[in-house]
Order: sequence, then structure tokens, then C-alpha cells
Amino acid sequence: MVTIEKITEENSGERGIKTFRLRFNDKKIQNDFDFIPGQCVMVSHFGYGECFFAISSSPTKKDFLEVSVMKLGKVTSALHECEPGDVLGVRGPYGNHFDVSGWQGKNLIFIGGGIGQAPLRSLINYVVDNRDNYKDLDIVYGARSTGDLCFKSEFSDLEKRKDVNVHLSIDKEEEGWNKFVGFVPDNLLSVKPSPKNAIAVTCGPPIMIKFVIQNLLKLGFSENQIFTTLEMRMKCGIGKCGRCNIGNLYVCKDGPVFSYDQLKNLKGEM
Amino acid sequence: MEDLILPKNKLSDYINKIKSDYTIFAPIKKDELTYYSQIENPSDISLDFINSKYPPKSILFNQTETLFKFKHGLKAEISFKEFKNSKNVIFGIRPCDAKSFFIVDKLFKDDYVDPYYSSKRENTVLIGLSCNLPGKNCFCTSMDGGPANAEDVDILFTDIGDKFYIEIKNIKGENLIKIGENLFNKPKDQDKNKLKQIKKKAEETISRKMNTTGIVDELDNIFDNRFWKDISMKCIGCGICTYGCPTCHCFDILDETSLREGARVRVWDTCMNPEYTIHASGHNPRPARMNRTRNRVYHKFNYYPKNYNVIACVGCGRCINECPVNIDIIDVITKAREVKT
Amino acid sequence: MVDRKKLQDEVTRVVERDDVNYVVGWEKGTYGFQMTPLFMFSSDDVNKLSFNPLCVHNLTVFPMLEEKLPLRKGAKEDTNKIGVIVKGCDSRAIVQIIQEKGIERERLVIIGIPCSGVIDPKKINKNFSDKTKVLEVTDDDKNFIIKTDSKTHKIPKDELMMDKCKTCEYPNPIIFDVLIGDEIKNSKKTDNKEIETFEKKNLEDKWKFWEDQFEKCIRCYACRNVCPLCYCKECMVDQLNPQWVRRSVNVSENTAWNIMRAFHLAGRCIDCGECERVCPADIPLRKLNKKIEKDILELFDYKPGVNVEDKPLLSMFKPDDPEEFIL
Repeated sequence: MVTIEKITEENSGERGIKTFRLRFNDKKIQNDFDFIPGQCVMVSHFGYGECFFAISSSPTKKDFLEVSVMKLGKVTSALHECEPGDVLGVRGPYGNHFDVSGWQGKNLIFIGGGIGQAPLRSLINYVVDNRDNYKDLDIVYGARSTGDLCFKSEFSDLEKRKDVNVHLSIDKEEEGWNKFVGFVPDNLLSVKPSPKNAIAVTCGPPIMIKFVIQNLLKLGFSENQIFTTLEMRMKCGIGKCGRCNIGNLYVCKDGPVFSYDQLKNLKGEM
Repeated sequence: MEDLILPKNKLSDYINKIKSDYTIFAPIKKDELTYYSQIENPSDISLDFINSKYPPKSILFNQTETLFKFKHGLKAEISFKEFKNSKNVIFGIRPCDAKSFFIVDKLFKDDYVDPYYSSKRENTVLIGLSCNLPGKNCFCTSMDGGPANAEDVDILFTDIGDKFYIEIKNIKGENLIKIGENLFNKPKDQDKNKLKQIKKKAEETISRKMNTTGIVDELDNIFDNRFWKDISMKCIGCGICTYGCPTCHCFDILDETSLREGARVRVWDTCMNPEYTIHASGHNPRPARMNRTRNRVYHKFNYYPKNYNVIACVGCGRCINECPVNIDIIDVITKAREVKT
Repeated sequence: MVDRKKLQDEVTRVVERDDVNYVVGWEKGTYGFQMTPLFMFSSDDVNKLSFNPLCVHNLTVFPMLEEKLPLRKGAKEDTNKIGVIVKGCDSRAIVQIIQEKGIERERLVIIGIPCSGVIDPKKINKNFSDKTKVLEVTDDDKNFIIKTDSKTHKIPKDELMMDKCKTCEYPNPIIFDVLIGDEIKNSKKTDNKEIETFEKKNLEDKWKFWEDQFEKCIRCYACRNVCPLCYCKECMVDQLNPQWVRRSVNVSENTAWNIMRAFHLAGRCIDCGECERVCPADIPLRKLNKKIEKDILELFDYKPGVNVEDKPLLSMFKPDDPEEFIL
């Protein structure tokens, strides 16, 4: 059982996104709860249901747990009506994770779009907290408009750092925006990261992932250097209800992190 | 423990003896259909059936199962169910349905063990009943089973006329038999011969066969083939096959509330429902019946074997018997093998 | 009786049309007395087509099940037609759907076959052993003629016929593009005796009867899926916001589901009997629907699915309606 400590509204509007900072009611559980970026939890809003969210805070922050929620359906709309102090349920962590230990010493490039930035945020903050273990860090992030951009304050902090390269973009021209205008895959091409000793991770809407991977391959990345997270409708979160499978892999148990060469050979519907 | 004989007229006595310690589920006849149900009176048992309408999976994996109750709002709290370790006996289960428990165990006990299922499964003794007369669409012999297959039961009864021939398979079965000790006799040679005859005849009666050698690879090759669109055009997406299948295990989890209180329940779900995989954004990875029918066949004959090394089909034939438009899994697999890439 | 060759020739003519995607008919099933829906895309497929008293399915559900998937950029919407073979009762479903504008008349090519009654699969399976090898099933005026590999049986129609056929008033398709076979002179009339006897029971007995029946329901929704008139894009039971019927399976929810479905079909159900045929729990669903049909006839003098020009009953207000309007 967790209590909502703080709610940050990332952006408003119909598909508004809010980040919820949750703290376990039981201090021992809070201390024992550990995870690796990429893993997810099932958050219960009793009376409405449960949803599978990627943890968007880094495991280096031990006092709390954050999830970023887009208002879309029954449970998420009810969550958006919550206030600090409300009690929710959390179970997890579930799923596999980004190979943060295997990626030490490599150049990292993270490409996110819209709410897809949530699992990447966990990864970014983890890497920043362990900055010396990794080489170059490039973040490419874009949204439909400045109103849809998430984690704005964190990005402005990241932009100030010398050891992180941030490349933001919005889809359509807007007054006051002097950075890249266009879709994220195009922004990626203009950044032109080198595939040498590099790992690319991308999260976002399926259509964006498709084109980003295309462009990464064009830039010379090989299939096992590209990782992404997938999502599906989920109910149990532990690979038993049979709902979230792509082929013989369950997104809740064998994912949500997949490498591109895994996905290429998987026969199934996404 | 050695084989035993139980005269048919002593069956009620035996059931009465074990009734005091065990909850007994047995086949009963209601409106000409046989169902597995909890019985109080051994005279309710009806063994005059080929196979029950619905499989006995509903005894261990309830159609509606309350996971926990909660009070919501600011003072939210949850109360879990206590797992009553009541001992159960499923009497008269057919070998195919018993095999289905073995298959589904692999999923429910894998990784996170499902306590709702396992607490019942561990405390259940299976008394199987061989099929003397298999049904017209039975094909258990093609699925690594048989009408008198005793691998997955604790005790196997075979009807050899006016008595039952009893084979005891393990210690669980032995303990259950010991309760009715003085009711049993030793089998004579003619009993043993009759048993052999009946088993042989039953196997020979099974006329439908499915070839499953290398089916996993065969299916891998034809995933994108047009064949799946053709075969699923007549599917109406009703879900009868999933509810009647002993190995289908898909479920849904929902909160059902009234004012301040509620419960989280797990209910059977069917992958044939179009809303099964729909995302909140509206995107549906399996939008057409073709995707769903193909997913169901692959789940049983390709994905499950890849994950757990066993085909998730026991050959009971219920899906063939019940399908309103005669989609026949034996026909589907046979035609799938003939598809030229 | 229908001449198979004539049927195949006419259907081939329809299948080979450029503006027809496929025609739905029947072919021999995979076991016993089964017939199964057949989708014919070419004249080769038509060779498997046959029609006999075992063809009990209502094929009009298939044009309604066609999924409208999102189109690729630049792709044009498919405006081709679907051919469907119908019996008398089946055609009433099409008439009703056209009344409601559920499908356009131009999208269908209807091949009608006058039908004097089909065999109930449950009844025939009782009369014959599982091992029966069926060669041919036909009928004459009074009997069904079943030819097996051992002998030919002549069984009076009353013994094997579906209950719905015993009171059928529309043996000839009401709407069609092509008619195969001769029109049948109708001699049967609706019989409400069973409903009237049931109506006279007292409330407790009636409730107990239905409670026992709904206890058996497993909420497989086969009744809904096989019904040609249940074509809502999102059925009320699948809605979560608000949740009208809980997904839990118990007598209370099952009763809600079955009765709500019967009411949603009020003035629309044409008594093809498919729901009762497919129900794995053998619930007498036709009783519910026939009672509502009887009430609709008495209150509004309206029969669903007989006249394409009619307006659908419960979606229309007439100034002389018996009830006052909400205003």
C-alpha cells in the first residue's frame, strides 16, 4: 500500500500526463524495494482497477517511487482525480530491465517520444547518478508541441550539464521555439550518433519506434545494439492470464524491454 | 500398492467413508447433461457418460474467484482470503481432463505460484475413470494420452462389468484407498484379462487422429500464410471452445464495487473476444477474427510448447463437439500441415 | 427439394461476378451430421456447396461480422458485395437489418432457397449412434430420408425437425436476388400455446424455472455472437464505463445478461432459433424471445423482418402510439 506524496502535472489537456510520487506506507518495504530501470509495477486504484506502469524514477532514489501516467481510460482518469494523501496499491517490480551493468563503458543514446519518455527517465537518472560508468550520453526527445513535452524542469537541468547532450524537438513550429522542429526520427538523423561502442534505446508510440529503428539501422547500428520497450493490455502482470503475449513471449514477464533482433524474429501481433 | 477390485454395489459405501474427511466432486446428470459437481449423496453420482459437458477445471480454477476484498477511499485497506486447506477428491475424472491439470500446472506454478490454484491442487486427490467407450471426436491417443492413461491420476478405476478394477499410482492414492480397506478384494486372473480387453477395445475405438510431429516448426513456417484468414472466416468469435477446453486458462481481473467496499475478482476470459487485447489508446493488436483464431491455435500448439515443452491440448474433443460452425481443430492442424509455402 | 446442380450453377454465376467478393453457403462438415459454412471465392469452391435439411445455420451473421479494419494510406474502401444463401427465416434477418440501416441492400447478393424445415442436430444425434457414417440426407413431403452406409432411414419430420420449423410462417425467402427451387405453400401457423401455458404459472414458479436455467449459463456469449441482429460495435457487457453487467458469473448477473439481451432484441428478433441451438448450457432462450415477440404483436401489431419498407418498431414514434411520449 502506498500513499501519494506529490503529484506533478507534466502537461494538461485531454491526454494530460501527471507524475505521481509514491511512498510505501510500510517503511521496511520502502527500504527493501529495489529494481533496475526498465521494470514496471502494477498500480491499483481500488474500486477502479490496476494498470501496468513503467517506473519513471531511478532506483538510486530510495525514498520514493514515481510513475508517470497519461489520462486515457477508466483507471488512469480516476488516478488523475487523486490528490496527495490518497492511498493506492502497488505490486512489483515486474518484467525484465535494461542491461545497465552490461552497458557500462558504452556510449548511450536514448530516443523518446511523448509519454514514452517515462521508462527512459528512470534510465537517464540512473545513468546520471552513476555518470562515470558510462561514456557519452545523448538524449533525443520530442513531442507534438511544447504543451505535450514532459519533465520540462528536469530537461532544463540536464541541458545545463556538460556531460549530457540534450536534443529536444516538437512536431510543429511554435513561437519561441528555437530548437529542432520535426518528428523525432528526423531529429535523430540530424544528431547523427555514431554506432561505435554504442547502445540505442527508444520508447514511444509504435509508429515512432518503427521509423527510429529504421533510421538507426541507416546510421549503421546493428540489431543487437537497439533496444525498445513495448506495451500491451495487461491484467495479471506475471505471465499467467495469457493476454499480453507476442508470439510465445509475454510482454509483462519476458519484456517490456526487448532488443531489436529479438523482435525481428518474433512472429506475433504487436 | 497392488491392484484391487471394488464391486460396484460397494461404491456408495466407499464414497460415504471418504466423505467425512474430503469434499467430493463427481459427475452428476442434470437434464441429460453430465457435470462435475460437489455431491452430498453418493447416489447422485452418474457414471453413464462419455465425458462431461464442461471440464472439471472449474473445480480448481473457479470461473469467478474473489482475490481479495477492499474498502476504498482515504482509509483504503485490503483483506485477503484465508486459504482453507480443505481436502478434495475429484472422482470419475477422465484421463484427458487429468492430463489437463498436469499441463496447466506448468503455468500456474511457474515463477510466481498462483496460490488460489495451487492450494486447491495440492489438496486434491484425483480418482480417474477409464473410458470404456471414447467419444466420436476424442483423439487423446494423438496427444500423448489414452482412454486408460493413468499417468496424471492418483488412482484409476476401470469399469469391468459389475466391478471396478483399481490401479493405485502413488502414495496420495494409497492413503485414500486405505480409508476403505475392507471394501476391496484382490483381482483374479479373469479380472486382469477383462481389463486388458477393455483397454484395448477403447483404444481401437478412437478413430480420429491428429499428427503432431514437428508441429511447432511447421506452424513457425506458416504464420503469415493466407491459410489463417480462410480457416477463420466462419468463426463467429463466441468463445465456446475456450470455456469448454480443459487447458484454456486465460482470465480477466476486475474490481467490482458497491459504494465504499468491493472485491477484486478473477473471471474466465476468452481470447476470442475482440476487446481482449484492446489498448486504452484504441489500438488493438488482434483486430480481426483471423488474428485471434490464429493466436489461439498457436498458443496451444506453438507458444505453450516453446515455453513449457508440452502441447496444450489433451484431445478431449469438446471444442469440436461444441463449435456452432464446425471449426474442427484436427481439421485445422491437418490442413495447416498441407499448406504449401 | 433443391437440385444441387442448379444451385451450384446459379451460385457460380454469382461468384464469378466482378463485384462480388465471395458467397457464403454450406458444405459437408468434418464428422457425423455436421454441415459447416462454406466461403466460395471461385467456381472451384462452389463444387463443395450443397444444401440439405441439415443446413441449420443462419448465414446472415457473416456479412455482419466482417471487420472494418483501418485502411492503409491511399487504399480505397472495399465496396464489393457479399453473397449469402438464405432460407425463409434467415431472409427475415436481412429484412430487419436493412430496416435498421445496419447494412445496405446493395452490399448483398441474396440467393434464396424455400425451406420446409431443417433437422435439429441435438435430436438427430440422439437417434443415431456416434459411429454412423452419413452418406446423404434429403426429404420428401412427410419424412426426412437419411442414407447411411448400412441402411436408409425414413423418419417422420415431426420427430427430427427443429421446434422453430414446426410453427414457421415464412418458408419462402422474403427478399432475394435469385430464387432456387419452387415456392412452398405455407400451411403452418404460429402457436402460442406453450407461451400461454407458461404465462399462467404463478410468479414463484416462473422465477424458479428461470433461476435454474440461468444458473447453468457460463456467459460464453455464443447466443450474442451467432445472432445476426446482435451487431453492436461495443456490446453493453463489454463496456466498463459504466459497467452495466458485471463480469462475475452468478445467477444474478446471468439473469441480467439474458433478460437484457432479450429486451434489446424486442421487435427485432425474427426467431431463427440459432441462440438456442448454439447454447452449450441448453437454456431455452427462444421462450424468452417468443414471449416478447407475442407481446409486441399484441401491443403494436408489428412483426419484425417481413417488410423492407417498414420502419423499425422501437426506434420510431407514431402520434397514435398506445403509450404517452416522455413529453
